[in-house]
Amino acid sequence: MIVNRTALIGRPLRAATYTVSEVDVKDFLGVVAEPELVAVDAAEGSANVEGGGVTALPRTVPPSFAPFVAVLGLLKTFDWHEDFLFDYRTGTAMFGEQSIQFHRPLTVGQSVAITAVVSDVYEKQGKQTFDVVEVTFDIKTGEEGELLMSGQQSYILFK
Amino acid sequence: MTAPISKAWFEDYEVSLALPSVEMGPMDRFDYIPIALILRDTNPLHLDRVYAQERGLPDVVQQGPLNQAYLYRYFTSLLHDPWDLVATKMRFAANVFPDDTLTCGGEVLALAPQEAGAGIVTCAVWQRNQRGETILKGEAKARIPSRR
Repeated sequence: MIVNRTALIGRPLRAATYTVSEVDVKDFLGVVAEPELVAVDAAEGSANVEGGGVTALPRTVPPSFAPFVAVLGLLKTFDWHEDFLFDYRTGTAMFGEQSIQFHRPLTVGQSVAITAVVSDVYEKQGKQTFDVVEVTFDIKTGEEGELLMSGQQSYILFK
Repeated sequence: MTAPISKAWFEDYEVSLALPSVEMGPMDRFDYIPIALILRDTNPLHLDRVYAQERGLPDVVQQGPLNQAYLYRYFTSLLHDPWDLVATKMRFAANVFPDDTLTCGGEVLALAPQEAGAGIVTCAVWQRNQRGETILKGEAKARIPSRR
Protein backbone atom coordinates (compact mmCIF):
# COMPACT_ATOMS: atom_id res chain seq x y z
CA MET A 1 0.00 0.00 0.00
CA ILE A 2 1.37 3.41 -0.94
CA VAL A 3 1.14 5.86 1.96
CA ASN A 4 0.96 9.57 1.21
CA ARG A 5 1.95 11.48 4.33
CA THR A 6 2.04 14.97 2.82
CA ALA A 7 -1.50 15.58 4.15
CA LEU A 8 0.06 15.49 7.63
CA ILE A 9 1.79 18.86 7.05
CA GLY A 10 0.42 21.43 9.49
CA ARG A 11 -1.10 18.83 11.79
CA PRO A 12 -0.81 19.77 15.47
CA LEU A 13 0.21 16.83 17.66
CA ARG A 14 -1.02 16.08 21.20
CA ALA A 15 0.05 18.36 24.04
CA ALA A 16 2.23 16.37 26.44
CA THR A 17 4.06 16.84 29.73
CA TYR A 18 7.22 15.37 31.22
CA THR A 19 8.76 15.81 34.65
CA VAL A 20 12.55 16.00 34.77
CA SER A 21 12.81 13.43 37.55
CA GLU A 22 15.77 13.18 39.89
CA VAL A 23 15.86 9.41 39.27
CA ASP A 24 16.16 9.88 35.50
CA VAL A 25 18.85 12.53 35.88
CA LYS A 26 20.86 10.49 38.39
CA ASP A 27 20.66 7.39 36.16
CA PHE A 28 21.78 9.52 33.23
CA LEU A 29 24.69 11.02 35.17
CA GLY A 30 25.72 7.50 36.16
CA VAL A 31 26.22 6.69 32.49
CA VAL A 32 27.53 9.92 31.02
CA ALA A 33 29.56 10.79 34.11
CA GLU A 34 28.87 14.51 34.03
CA PRO A 35 29.88 16.54 37.06
CA GLU A 36 27.30 16.58 39.84
CA LEU A 37 24.21 18.74 39.62
CA VAL A 38 24.85 22.45 39.95
CA ALA A 39 22.71 24.91 41.88
CA VAL A 40 21.17 27.58 39.67
CA ASP A 41 21.82 30.26 42.28
CA ALA A 42 23.30 29.10 45.55
CA ALA A 43 22.75 32.43 47.32
CA GLU A 44 19.06 32.50 46.38
CA GLY A 45 18.60 28.85 47.30
CA SER A 46 20.21 29.04 50.72
CA ALA A 47 17.99 31.99 51.63
CA ASN A 48 14.89 30.16 50.56
CA VAL A 49 13.47 28.97 53.87
CA GLU A 50 9.96 27.63 54.24
CA GLY A 51 8.33 26.37 57.43
CA GLY A 52 11.59 26.42 59.33
CA GLY A 53 13.45 24.20 56.87
CA VAL A 54 15.61 25.01 53.91
CA THR A 55 13.88 24.07 50.68
CA ALA A 56 15.76 22.11 48.07
CA LEU A 57 17.78 24.15 45.62
CA PRO A 58 16.61 24.24 42.05
CA ARG A 59 19.40 22.28 40.40
CA THR A 60 20.21 22.55 36.75
CA VAL A 61 20.70 19.41 34.77
CA PRO A 62 23.50 19.27 32.21
CA PRO A 63 22.52 20.34 28.69
CA SER A 64 23.50 16.84 27.54
CA PHE A 65 20.22 15.66 29.10
CA ALA A 66 18.25 18.04 26.86
CA PRO A 67 18.06 15.70 23.84
CA PHE A 68 16.53 13.09 26.15
CA VAL A 69 13.83 15.55 27.22
CA ALA A 70 13.12 16.44 23.60
CA VAL A 71 13.02 12.81 22.44
CA LEU A 72 10.93 11.63 25.39
CA GLY A 73 8.57 14.59 25.26
CA LEU A 74 8.03 14.32 21.53
CA LEU A 75 7.35 10.58 21.67
CA LYS A 76 4.42 11.45 23.93
CA THR A 77 2.96 13.85 21.36
CA PHE A 78 2.19 11.35 18.64
CA ASP A 79 1.18 7.81 17.85
CA TRP A 80 3.26 6.20 15.12
CA HIS A 81 0.23 4.59 13.47
CA GLU A 82 -2.49 7.22 13.98
CA ASP A 83 -0.40 10.31 13.36
CA PHE A 84 2.41 9.14 11.08
CA LEU A 85 0.55 6.30 9.27
CA PHE A 86 3.43 4.02 10.24
CA ASP A 87 3.31 0.41 11.47
CA TYR A 88 6.42 -0.23 13.57
CA ARG A 89 5.78 -4.00 13.48
CA THR A 90 6.51 -4.15 9.77
CA GLY A 91 8.38 -0.94 9.05
CA THR A 92 11.60 0.67 10.17
CA ALA A 93 11.85 4.16 11.62
CA MET A 94 14.82 6.12 12.85
CA PHE A 95 15.76 9.59 14.04
CA GLY A 96 16.92 12.06 11.41
CA GLU A 97 18.15 15.51 12.29
CA GLN A 98 17.52 17.33 15.56
CA SER A 99 17.97 21.04 16.13
CA ILE A 100 17.41 22.75 19.47
CA GLN A 101 17.52 26.36 20.58
CA PHE A 102 18.13 26.73 24.30
CA HIS A 103 16.29 29.53 26.09
CA ARG A 104 16.59 28.59 29.78
CA PRO A 105 18.31 25.85 31.80
CA LEU A 106 16.38 22.74 32.74
CA THR A 107 16.10 21.99 36.45
CA VAL A 108 15.51 18.79 38.39
CA GLY A 109 11.87 18.25 39.32
CA GLN A 110 10.65 20.67 36.69
CA SER A 111 7.49 19.77 34.80
CA VAL A 112 7.66 20.72 31.17
CA ALA A 113 4.91 21.02 28.58
CA ILE A 114 5.59 19.98 25.00
CA THR A 115 3.67 21.19 21.98
CA ALA A 116 4.49 20.08 18.46
CA VAL A 117 3.25 20.32 14.90
CA VAL A 118 4.17 18.42 11.73
CA SER A 119 5.99 21.16 9.83
CA ASP A 120 7.04 19.26 6.72
CA VAL A 121 6.91 15.86 5.04
CA TYR A 122 8.97 14.93 2.00
CA GLU A 123 10.17 11.80 0.24
CA LYS A 124 13.85 11.03 -0.25
CA GLN A 125 15.66 8.34 -2.15
CA GLY A 126 18.72 6.64 -0.68
CA LYS A 127 19.40 2.91 -0.93
CA GLN A 128 15.70 2.75 -0.08
CA THR A 129 12.88 5.24 -0.46
CA PHE A 130 11.82 6.92 2.77
CA ASP A 131 9.67 9.75 4.06
CA VAL A 132 11.13 12.45 6.27
CA VAL A 133 8.56 13.73 8.77
CA GLU A 134 9.71 16.99 10.32
CA VAL A 135 8.20 18.09 13.64
CA THR A 136 8.61 21.59 15.10
CA PHE A 137 8.33 21.78 18.87
CA ASP A 138 8.28 24.09 21.88
CA ILE A 139 9.11 22.96 25.41
CA LYS A 140 7.89 25.33 28.13
CA THR A 141 7.71 25.44 31.91
CA GLY A 142 3.94 24.89 31.61
CA GLU A 143 1.16 25.31 29.10
CA GLU A 144 1.45 29.11 29.23
CA GLY A 145 4.91 29.09 30.79
CA GLU A 146 8.33 30.32 29.77
CA LEU A 147 10.09 28.83 26.79
CA LEU A 148 12.88 26.41 27.74
CA MET A 149 13.73 24.87 24.39
CA SER A 150 12.42 25.03 20.86
CA GLY A 151 13.46 23.20 17.76
CA GLN A 152 12.86 20.59 15.14
CA GLN A 153 13.14 16.82 15.07
CA SER A 154 12.87 14.71 11.94
CA TYR A 155 11.89 11.07 11.74
CA ILE A 156 12.85 8.81 8.87
CA LEU A 157 10.16 6.32 7.91
CA PHE A 158 11.32 3.71 5.39
CA LYS A 159 8.82 2.68 2.73
CA MET B 1 37.35 11.96 28.73
CA THR B 2 41.07 11.43 28.42
CA ALA B 3 42.24 15.06 28.65
CA PRO B 4 41.00 18.12 30.48
CA ILE B 5 39.77 20.88 28.23
CA SER B 6 40.77 24.45 28.81
CA LYS B 7 37.96 26.98 28.71
CA ALA B 8 38.88 29.63 26.18
CA TRP B 9 37.69 33.25 26.11
CA PHE B 10 36.03 34.89 23.15
CA GLU B 11 39.29 36.65 22.24
CA ASP B 12 41.00 33.24 21.94
CA TYR B 13 38.68 31.98 19.19
CA GLU B 14 39.25 32.48 15.47
CA VAL B 15 37.52 31.06 12.42
CA SER B 16 38.94 27.66 11.33
CA LEU B 17 40.46 27.04 14.78
CA ALA B 18 40.28 23.32 15.55
CA LEU B 19 38.71 22.49 18.90
CA PRO B 20 40.62 19.93 21.00
CA SER B 21 39.56 16.37 20.22
CA VAL B 22 38.54 14.11 23.06
CA GLU B 23 38.19 10.33 23.17
CA MET B 24 35.41 8.63 25.13
CA GLY B 25 34.83 4.98 25.81
CA PRO B 26 34.83 2.12 25.26
CA MET B 27 31.04 2.10 25.20
CA ASP B 28 29.45 -0.30 27.66
CA ARG B 29 26.39 -2.38 26.74
CA PHE B 30 25.24 -2.35 30.37
CA ASP B 31 24.79 1.43 30.11
CA TYR B 32 22.01 0.81 27.58
CA ILE B 33 19.72 -0.54 30.32
CA PRO B 34 19.38 2.68 32.37
CA ILE B 35 19.18 4.68 29.14
CA ALA B 36 16.32 2.44 27.92
CA LEU B 37 14.56 3.05 31.24
CA ILE B 38 15.03 6.82 31.06
CA LEU B 39 13.78 6.94 27.47
CA ARG B 40 10.96 4.43 28.15
CA ASP B 41 12.34 2.71 25.04
CA THR B 42 12.10 -1.07 25.21
CA ASN B 43 13.16 -1.62 21.59
CA PRO B 44 15.08 -4.95 21.69
CA LEU B 45 17.52 -3.54 19.14
CA HIS B 46 19.25 -1.82 22.06
CA LEU B 47 19.19 -4.72 24.52
CA ASP B 48 18.99 -8.09 22.76
CA ARG B 49 22.09 -9.14 20.83
CA VAL B 50 20.37 -12.08 19.11
CA TYR B 51 17.52 -9.85 17.94
CA ALA B 52 20.01 -7.32 16.55
CA GLN B 53 22.07 -10.01 14.81
CA GLU B 54 18.94 -11.48 13.24
CA ARG B 55 18.52 -8.05 11.61
CA GLY B 56 22.02 -8.07 10.15
CA LEU B 57 23.68 -5.92 12.80
CA PRO B 58 26.91 -7.00 14.54
CA ASP B 59 25.56 -6.30 18.03
CA VAL B 60 23.01 -4.24 19.90
CA VAL B 61 22.80 -0.58 18.86
CA GLN B 62 23.59 2.21 21.32
CA GLN B 63 20.67 4.61 21.71
CA GLY B 64 21.00 7.71 19.50
CA PRO B 65 20.30 10.20 22.31
CA LEU B 66 23.20 8.68 24.26
CA ASN B 67 25.54 9.33 21.31
CA GLN B 68 24.26 12.91 21.30
CA ALA B 69 24.76 13.21 25.06
CA TYR B 70 28.48 12.43 24.68
CA LEU B 71 28.85 15.10 21.98
CA TYR B 72 26.92 17.61 24.10
CA ARG B 73 29.10 16.75 27.07
CA TYR B 74 32.20 17.34 24.98
CA PHE B 75 31.08 20.69 23.61
CA THR B 76 29.66 22.06 26.86
CA SER B 77 32.88 21.13 28.67
CA LEU B 78 34.53 23.85 26.55
CA LEU B 79 32.15 26.46 27.96
CA HIS B 80 32.53 28.51 31.11
CA ASP B 81 28.92 27.61 32.02
CA PRO B 82 27.38 24.57 30.28
CA TRP B 83 24.12 26.52 29.86
CA ASP B 84 25.94 29.11 27.73
CA LEU B 85 24.89 26.71 25.01
CA VAL B 86 22.66 28.59 22.58
CA ALA B 87 21.72 26.08 19.88
CA THR B 88 22.60 22.74 18.35
CA LYS B 89 21.86 21.00 15.10
CA MET B 90 22.90 17.37 14.72
CA ARG B 91 22.41 14.62 12.20
CA PHE B 92 22.74 10.90 12.90
CA ALA B 93 25.03 9.30 10.33
CA ALA B 94 25.87 5.82 11.71
CA ASN B 95 25.29 3.46 14.62
CA VAL B 96 27.43 2.96 17.72
CA PHE B 97 28.00 -0.54 19.12
CA PRO B 98 29.32 -1.85 22.45
CA ASP B 99 33.10 -1.46 22.89
CA ASP B 100 33.27 1.32 20.29
CA THR B 101 35.45 4.27 21.19
CA LEU B 102 34.11 7.69 20.27
CA THR B 103 36.16 10.74 19.41
CA CYS B 104 34.54 14.14 19.52
CA GLY B 105 35.93 17.27 17.94
CA GLY B 106 35.08 20.42 16.09
CA GLU B 107 36.11 23.57 14.33
CA VAL B 108 35.13 27.22 14.67
CA LEU B 109 32.89 28.34 11.81
CA ALA B 110 31.84 31.85 12.78
CA LEU B 111 32.26 34.51 15.46
CA ALA B 112 29.66 37.13 16.34
CA PRO B 113 30.93 39.73 18.82
CA GLN B 114 28.48 41.07 21.38
CA GLU B 115 28.67 43.65 24.15
CA ALA B 116 31.72 43.98 26.40
CA GLY B 117 33.96 41.76 24.32
CA ALA B 118 31.87 38.61 24.68
CA GLY B 119 30.35 36.88 21.71
CA ILE B 120 28.62 33.95 20.08
CA VAL B 121 30.82 31.22 18.64
CA THR B 122 29.43 28.81 16.05
CA CYS B 123 31.32 25.53 15.66
CA ALA B 124 31.08 22.49 13.46
CA VAL B 125 31.03 19.48 15.79
CA TRP B 126 31.48 15.83 15.03
CA GLN B 127 31.71 12.41 16.62
CA ARG B 128 33.56 9.50 15.01
CA ASN B 129 34.21 5.92 15.97
CA GLN B 130 37.57 4.11 16.15
CA ARG B 131 37.33 3.30 12.43
CA GLY B 132 36.99 6.99 11.55
CA GLU B 133 33.32 6.63 10.58
CA THR B 134 31.19 9.67 11.34
CA ILE B 135 28.51 8.95 13.91
CA LEU B 136 27.13 12.46 14.41
CA LYS B 137 27.82 15.73 12.73
CA GLY B 138 26.36 19.15 13.03
CA GLU B 139 26.76 22.56 14.57
CA ALA B 140 26.76 23.99 18.06
CA LYS B 141 26.54 27.62 19.06
CA ALA B 142 27.47 29.10 22.45
CA ARG B 143 27.95 32.38 24.30
CA ILE B 144 31.60 32.88 25.22
CA PRO B 145 32.59 35.55 27.75
CA SER B 146 35.42 37.99 27.34
CA ARG B 147 38.65 37.66 29.32
CA ARG B 148 38.24 41.35 30.33
